Amino acid sequence: MNKQVEMMRKIQRYDFALYDLMLYLDTHPRCQKALQLYDQYRKKRKNAVEAYVKEFGSIVALQSSTDKKWSWGEGSYPWEREAN
Amino acid sequence: MWTYEKKLQYPVNIKNPNPQMAQIICSQIGGSDSELAAALRYLNQRYSMPTDKIKGLLTDIGTEELAHL
Repeated sequence: MNKQVEMMRKIQRYDFALYDLMLYLDTHPRCQKALQLYDQYRKKRKNAVEAYVKEFGSIVALQSSTDKKWSWGEGSYPWEREAN
Repeated sequence: MWTYEKKLQYPVNIKNPNPQMAQIICSQIGGSDSELAAALRYLNQRYSMPTDKIKGLLTDIGTEELAHL
């Protein structure tokens, strides 16, 4: 597994956990344990995304560089073979 | 209301092309009992929910269904 895929897997794992926690918190908004976990995974996700974007380009358009040239359209899409 | 990420919810790794399988997957995406249909059902029903909690939950679940596309 190359480095890009590996770093993406990490983000995917955090997002999976965060989305499930969000759905749980929607109906259990005062569960301290879930709130703590959400905070913890959110921090980890933030670091993982920052590291990924720095090396392999933006995941959302807002992260794209505006330094001379727009790069959002570059690179392969995640469902293409090269990206997996 | 939505933003797009260059990121799949779950990794895809197709080893062999398989047209029959592709057809099944296509109907899972856009057919009458598909992910898209589920997303739209959740996102429509959210409007008739009586409490903020359930409105919020259905909005989040509908969004999750969109992510399955």
